[in-house]
Parts: sequence; structure tokens; C-alpha cells
Amino acid sequence: MNENFLEIKDLKKSFGSGEARQEVLRGMNFTVKRGEFCVLLGPSGSGKSTLLNIIGGIDTPDEGFVSINGDKLEEMNESQLTLYRRKHLGYVFQMYNLIPNLNVKENIEVGAYLSDKPLDVEEVLTTLGLQDHKYKYPNQLSGGQQQRVSIGRAVVKNPDILMCDEPTGALDYKTSKEILALIEDCNRKFGSTVIMVTHNEAIKYMADHVIKLRDGVVRHNDINETKTSAMDLEW
Amino acid sequence: MRNPLIKRIPRELKSDWHKYLVIIVFMVVMIGVISGMYVGHDGMLEAVYSGREVLNLEDGRFELSKRASQEMLDAISTGEKADVREYYINKGIEEADKEVADAIEEELDSQVESAIEEAVRAQCEAYGITDEDVIKEQIDTAIDASYDEAIKEARESEEFRTAAEDAYKEAHDKVVEKVDEEWDKVADRYNLNDEFTPVKTVIYEHFYREEEEKAGSHTSNVRIYRSDSEIDKASFLEGRAPESSDEIAIDRMHADNVGIRLGDTIKVGKKQFKVVGLLSYVNYLTLHESNTDLMFDAFGFDVAMVTPEAFANLKSRIHYNYAFKYVDAPADRVEKADNSGAFLKALITQSLVFDNEIDDYLPEYLRQASNFAVSDIEGDSAGTAILCYILIGVIAFIFAITISNTIDKEASVIGTLRASGYSKRELVVHYMSMPVVVTILGAVIGNVLGYTAFKNVAINLYYESYSLPTAYSVWSNTALVKTTVIPLLLMFFVNLFVIVKKLQLSPLRFLRHDLSKSKRTKARRLPSWSFLRRFRLRILFQNMPNYGILMFGVVFIELMMCFAFGLPDSLNHYADEAGNMMFADYQYMLMDYRDEDGNVIETAEKTAEPFLATTLLYPKKESSFRTGMGSGGDESVTVYGIIDNSGFINLGSSLKEGEVLISSAFSKKFGIRKGDTLKLNAEYENKSYEFKVSGSVDYDGAVAAFMDDTSFRSVFEKEEDEFSGFFSKNEITDLDEQNIATVITSEDITKITVQLTHSIGGIVGIFKYALVVLAAALIYLLAKIIIERNEQSISMAKILGFKNKEIGSLYIIPTAVVVTVCSLAGFAIGFYLMIRIFRVFMLQMDGYFAFFLKPASAVLAVVYLLVGYAFVSILDFIRIKRIPLDVALKNVE
Repeated sequence: MNENFLEIKDLKKSFGSGEARQEVLRGMNFTVKRGEFCVLLGPSGSGKSTLLNIIGGIDTPDEGFVSINGDKLEEMNESQLTLYRRKHLGYVFQMYNLIPNLNVKENIEVGAYLSDKPLDVEEVLTTLGLQDHKYKYPNQLSGGQQQRVSIGRAVVKNPDILMCDEPTGALDYKTSKEILALIEDCNRKFGSTVIMVTHNEAIKYMADHVIKLRDGVVRHNDINETKTSAMDLEW
Repeated sequence: MRNPLIKRIPRELKSDWHKYLVIIVFMVVMIGVISGMYVGHDGMLEAVYSGREVLNLEDGRFELSKRASQEMLDAISTGEKADVREYYINKGIEEADKEVADAIEEELDSQVESAIEEAVRAQCEAYGITDEDVIKEQIDTAIDASYDEAIKEARESEEFRTAAEDAYKEAHDKVVEKVDEEWDKVADRYNLNDEFTPVKTVIYEHFYREEEEKAGSHTSNVRIYRSDSEIDKASFLEGRAPESSDEIAIDRMHADNVGIRLGDTIKVGKKQFKVVGLLSYVNYLTLHESNTDLMFDAFGFDVAMVTPEAFANLKSRIHYNYAFKYVDAPADRVEKADNSGAFLKALITQSLVFDNEIDDYLPEYLRQASNFAVSDIEGDSAGTAILCYILIGVIAFIFAITISNTIDKEASVIGTLRASGYSKRELVVHYMSMPVVVTILGAVIGNVLGYTAFKNVAINLYYESYSLPTAYSVWSNTALVKTTVIPLLLMFFVNLFVIVKKLQLSPLRFLRHDLSKSKRTKARRLPSWSFLRRFRLRILFQNMPNYGILMFGVVFIELMMCFAFGLPDSLNHYADEAGNMMFADYQYMLMDYRDEDGNVIETAEKTAEPFLATTLLYPKKESSFRTGMGSGGDESVTVYGIIDNSGFINLGSSLKEGEVLISSAFSKKFGIRKGDTLKLNAEYENKSYEFKVSGSVDYDGAVAAFMDDTSFRSVFEKEEDEFSGFFSKNEITDLDEQNIATVITSEDITKITVQLTHSIGGIVGIFKYALVVLAAALIYLLAKIIIERNEQSISMAKILGFKNKEIGSLYIIPTAVVVTVCSLAGFAIGFYLMIRIFRVFMLQMDGYFAFFLKPASAVLAVVYLLVGYAFVSILDFIRIKRIPLDVALKNVE
């Protein structure tokens, strides 16, 4: 966990033009090490989702760069970026975005299909506690169960980086903790680097690395010496 | 690992089975019908083409006014033009010789008599006889006694020989001089100076007679050929060829239409015949009585075969018809036309020199009876294929809209998949699979049905109309391409275009549901109507693309409706008006105005009025020709010469020489107006006539022109007492059948409608209902999309407290308004287009027949579609009622 796996350098991004122009990222710098559980913390409008999208290669910065394992994203064309996402990234969103007419197992297979080194789908189902629900369709599941499936779809790829955008934003307290525990579990078990965007302050205690954003810049960049397990978090 | 997204396809098919069922049934029927048409029509054509070889189809025919001598036939078959100059010289010399001989005889006679008289008078004077009576007596006695001797002596004299030779020579020189003087005119008239390559032919006698055929109460005209003919043979669909003189084989299609069965007895002329065979003559695939007939007539016309003995026993006049085949078969239509032109020159010149007259000439490639069916079958399938492509195009767009809608709905999923690493290509392939699967499914089932059930439907449809031989089953590559490859490509590219365009957006925009292309920031301002009206208007704007497709589909369906209602209406209208269209109840065309004994033909019928007539050709524009379509080329125009104070045609008093009135059909068909100059060409000569149109006669029955008889005689060089036939209000019974060429009555005008009604009546009825179903299916698919797109809004409206009825009115009324407006506009466009299409179609045919639609049919054409829509709106309402409240509350993707 020593090398700088992800490097963010002088990243700037703005939306709109003229008077309506709004700078969302105003020169952001930090690095993340391989296997780290990194939490991007900040209030609404701090630029954390934009940052995550740029790291995920689905948005582009105006200035600066993102480098993963030494490869700069802005030097990649569209198909290379697709390949990058395919090989290295797993995505978990606040909304689960599952495919309605595929069952739980098949939704997870959608992720597995993309990977050269996928995890065993059954094992992922067990880890996520979805064995009893694997033949159900998304609309037969609760919100928490749907988010588990969404995590399963992301981790089954065995991605280098697991990107989580407010994964508990739509969930209740108890379910949120369960989901966080799962992500923590995946980080530990499968060794993926996790970058999680949240506005929930309590979540920072389970992270290795906490980056606090405000008004488009990094306000704090802290390494947690001691972590709290997800199930022990309180908010 | 297989792409797990594939599993969505069958589930999607299952979950939305109504929609896909409608689409697949739609495609199966369309593809099946087209495939059946092609397979049937290819099989049919195969049978027709092989029949042309096996049954020895002619390359053309000509009819002469009298039987040709073997010498004449031999001369024609060489393909060489006759020496017309020599013919005219010989004919002139013959006449001149007669005149010179008469003159010489007269001169000789008078000279010999004068010499004898002189000698007698000299003798009398010597004897002192002065009595004039005695002298005359002496002269007469001397003439009686020595005239022959004196004549003989005179003839043998050198003087006489020289004088006679000089007279003949002078006369011959004069003839040659006159022929040479007139030669340019003659050469031009018969195209004798054109470049010419003789075309060798084999000529066959193919005489026929025409008799009245009576089967029960049905009367028709039958053209009878001999069973031993070596050309234009028949294939037997049932039974056999006649073997004894009381047996006959008749056309299968005619027998079908009239209800004659094998073994029945029919009366032909005055004789009874037993029907022993139902046949299809290779040169009568459609029963066109005359090549200029607008439509064949299997009810009123028949072709038959009898033994040579039976043929000899019949009483009606023999038509001296000859069929010919080129020794070297022409390769294509151009060569056929060239050959035909060359052959016609030989025929015209040879018949001139052999003192025979051509009554009719028709190269096979222009023969309606052998080409109409083939060309019509091809036209049918081409037309149907275009219909199919339009409908598949509409379906493809519906599909594209459905998919575009699905993509909107699945935006988050697509965003997530793209963010997870799915490439654009993979998603395009995924969303393309459904239309491709549905098309393949439709094409496979459609083709299977095409080769089985629909093939027979198509073949039976052809048998309903044409006298075709037995069809074969052949594999049709055209069918495969047109029914499977083209729809698949059409579906593929339309959907590919829409899907690729839709998936161009970045993953982020999908995740944000930011899918609209336009960056319009301001909403369209609406007038200050009630809230519900504005809401409806918004729904209308939101669904513009769907309504666009709907509009296109409805216009298309209304066009078809106009066709389905208009065709029978036009036929009925034409039949109803036929009586009024005739200016004479009977029109007798005579073979000649003199009978065999040279007496001018007369009748005791009081209402009969003689008229003059000739057939000229009106050149059509090249663009309106339809290849292989019967007479295709020029329009036949009957030019009438009408007597003064005619009881049938009122020419008025102001018609000057060189002016004509034209029939209303002529005027409407070609848009000819008063004051225009009409240029008409002679049929077999290179001659043309120009007339000034000074008005029209209300006569829709035929393309005709009228002029007064004096002008007619002078323009067409007719004798003072010559005429072509009689108009009459009553049947003329005192004319010898041998002298009658044809009789035209109102039945001849209505026969086309009877035939068409029989051939297409049933199909048109079914077609109407099929269109209603088609319209309903189309509207169903599009209305479904509109409601699906708004499921969340509908659900939210329900939560807010709107009643189902209110929501129904919000979402159904805009569609109802659009459908109604489109139906009315579509009808107007369809009606206008149909008139145009009909006119173009008529230009390709001979004769005239206007498009007509009853007001009641016009109303029905719109009402039918609206009834179809009414059913769909009930389904829509049920669908709206079934949308659950939680759609708007739960995040159910």
C-alpha cells in the first residue's frame, strides 16, 4: 500500500459560460495508494461527484490531469477510456441502476462479463448475502438489497478501483451500515482501491484516507491511523 | 462468458408480447403475402416462359382480306420488300398497253375502212355510178368481203408495225415518267428508302372464325382455331383436345367465369359441341378480344379449338390470319421492334404487289393477350413489394421510436453500463438485437407461409384473372431478397441510425438523464387556455415524433382506403354510365361498303345512319410506356366521318375543313383542349394528319375524333359513295354476317367492369378490412409508446388525485385529435394522389377510365379508420387505468 496508485494534479473543472460560469474544481491535488479505502467528503456542491466522474473517465477536466498507475486519462481516446473503465473500474451509484428484466445473479454477471479476471459470481452472491434472492428481479427487492446487487455488479469485476457515489444516500441507517460493511469487506477481501464519495461525516472513520473538499479545493487530506469498522459507526 | 444482456431479449419479448405480437403478425402477413406473390408469380412465369417454347408461340401475326397465294407467302417469308416501282410500272404499262391496243385497233379499223371506201368510190366513179345509196351498198359489200384481208395486210405492213411500236414505246415511257415523278411520294408513304435489312420468317396459316357461343343463358363471342395448328398451341388444364367434329375445347378461364364444365354441351354458331377440354392457348393468357381493349374479357370472349372438319362446317367468315416466326429469334425487345418494323415493310409491299390487303398486323411483343398477364403479374408484385417496404419502413420507425423510448427509460442503466466499461458498440448491438430478431422471426415465418399457404392464394388469384398454364413450384431468389434481405436491411439501418444517434451521448449525460439534444432553455409559451387544454398541448408537443410517424402511416392508409373504395366505385360508376356513354346503341363496322357482287350494302333499318371511320394513332409520351404492357406504344384513335344532320353526333354548323371534335375521354386522358392542334399518324403508313380541335363531344366510352363526312372523304381519299358502317338505335337484322366486321354495343363498354369486378372484387373487400386492422395496429403501437413514455407522469397524476377519466382525456384526446385531423388530411392527400396515379396508369393503357369515389365512400374511408382508432382508444384507457400508483413513488428501474 505504499505506491501512489492514483494521482490527481491541478485538476480544474467549470460548468456554464459567461456570468453563469461556475468553477466546480479549482486546482485539486492529492494521491491515493493502491488498496486504500479513500473517502471524499464534502457538502453538496463541493465538487466531489464531479471529481469522481473525472477519475472514472466519464467526465473530463478543463485543466490538470488524473493518472492511474502512471497512465494519464486525458491522453486516452474514447475507446481507450472505455477499456480503462472496463478493466480497472467498478461503479456503485446512489441509485442502483439495475437492469429490470435481469435477475439478481444475471445483474451481477453483467459486471463479470466485462472482466478478464472476474470473481466467482456465486462467491460474490454469498458475500453479499444474496444467495436466497439470486433469482429475484430488482423490483422484488428492497432498496438495500438492490444496492447490494449494485455493489456485487461492481466488485465481481475484481476492479482495481471501486468507485462509490453516495452508495448509502437513498438508504436507511441500518441498511446503510450493512452496505458500508460490505464495501469494507470487499476492500479487505479483494484488495480493491475504494474511492467513496459521501457527505456523511461519520463514514470518514472507516477510511484509510480522508479527503475533505469544499468549494472545489482540498481542505484536508488526512490519513487515518486507526479505522472504525463500518458496523460500529454511528450517526 | 456470454453477454448476460442477451437474456433480456426473450424476456423483453415475453413481457411486452402484445406489442411484439402485433409487429410480428404485421411482418409475417406482409412478408408472407409478398413471398407468396413472388413464389407464385415466379412459378407462374416459369410455366409461361417454358410454354412459349413448347407451344410454339408466334413472333407476330397478320390478317389479310383474302387468302394469300403460296407465292405471296413465299415472298413475304423471304423478308424482302417487293419491287413497288416495278409493280407500279407494270401495272401502268398493263393499263397503257390496253389503252394503246384499243387506240390502234380503232385507228386501224378506221384507216382500213377509209381505204376500202376510197377504192370503191374510185371504181364507182370509173363506172359512172353516182347514186350514193348504190355506192354505200358497194362499200359495205367491199368491207364485208375484204376487211379481214385488208386488216391482215395492214397489220403486216412495215408502216403499221413501226407506228404501233412507237405508240407502245411512247405510252410505256409516259408510265415510267409518271411513276418516277410520283416515286418520292410513294417511297415516303411505304418507307421504301429507309435502311432495310430483310428478316426471314416462317409463315403459318392460322385461320380462325368467330361465332356466337351459347352456354345456358350466357352468350359470348368465341374465336375458333383448328386443332391441327402448328403454331400458338394450347396446354390442357383439364380434359383433352377435340377428336371428333362435335367436340370442342375452350378456354379454362372463360369456362370458369361462365360456369361451363367438362362434358357440358355448348352451342357454337348453329352447331352443338361437347366440351372435352379446358385449355390455355399460349397466345391467349388473357382473353383480349382486340389488342386495343382496355381490359380482357373472359366473360364475353372465348377462344376454342375444334377439329379441321368441324372448322370447315362452321358458317361464319374465315379470318385469313397468318402467324409468323423469325428464322433467327430476336434477342431482346429492341431487336423485336426492329424485326417487326422490317417485316411490316415486306408485308405491306408484298401485299400491295400481290393485290391483297392487310386487315390487321400485330407483332407478338405488343400483343396484350400474351403479355398483359406477365406484365401485370410483375407489376403486381412490384407494387406489393413497394407497399411492403413502406409498411416495414413504418414499422422500423415505430421500432426505432420504441427503442429510443426504452433508451430514455433505461438512461441510468445505460449510464451505469457505460461507466462500468460497456462500449458503445456493445450497447448498440444489444439494442439492435430486438428489431433484428423480430424481423428475422417475421421473415422466417412469413417465408414459410409464403412458400405454402400464400403461394396458393397468389396462384389462385392469378387463375381468377388469367388463362394461365399450370404453375410450377420454383425457388425464388427474388422472393428471398425482397422479402427477407430488404426488410432486414430496412429495419437494420433505420434502427441503427436512431440507436447510434441516441447512444452518442456521454455516460454522464445518461446518468443525469440529460438526453435532450436541444439546449432550449425556455418552454414554449402557450395561450392562456384552461389548464387541461394546455396540459394536452404539452403532451402533443412532447410526442411530436410519434405523431409524425402516425401522420405518415395514416396518410398511407388513407391512400390505400381511397384505392380500396375508389376502384369498385369507379367500376360501378363506369358500368352505370356505360349506357349514357354510347352515342349509338349499335355501331356496325362493315368489312367493306360493297358486298361480294359489288353492290353497295344497304339496310332497311330506319334508324340506321352510315358513317365513315378509320383508325389513327395518337403518339404517347415515351415516359408513359410500360415495358411489355400490351399495345403500350401509341393510343388508337377512331376518327369518324359524320353525315350532315346526323341523328347521333351533333357536329354543329361551324366545323370547318381540317377541324375535328374529340371525345371527352380523349380530351381528359391527354389534357387536349379546344384550339389545340392534334397530330395523328396512320397505322401502317408513314403518313400523318393534323387537325385543329374545335371542341369536344360528351363521350367517355372511347378515344375518338369526329369530323364531317365531306372533310373525311377529302382527307382520307374516300370514294363519294364509300362508308364504313352504320350507327343504329335498333339491331340491324338484314346485314349479311359475312360483311360485318364488328358490332359495338354498350356491353362492349361494360365488359371491362364486369371482368375487373370479377377479378378484384373479393380482394378489394378483404383489403378494406385489412386496412382497418392495419390502421388500428399502427395507432395501437404508437399510442402505446405515448402512454409508456408518460407512465410516471400518469402515476403521479393519479397520486395527485386526478381521476382515470381525466387522465384518459389528457392522454387520449391529443391522439384522437391528431388521428382525426390526419385522417381527414390523409384522405384529401390520398384522394388527390389516387387521381394522379389512376391517370398515369390510364396513360399506359389504351382507352380511358376515370377515378371516381362516391361521397358515401369518402365518408366511410375516414370512418373506418376512426372506428379502428376507437378500439385502440378503449385499450389505451384500460392501459391508463392499470398503471399503478407506485410507479411514481418507487425507484423501480
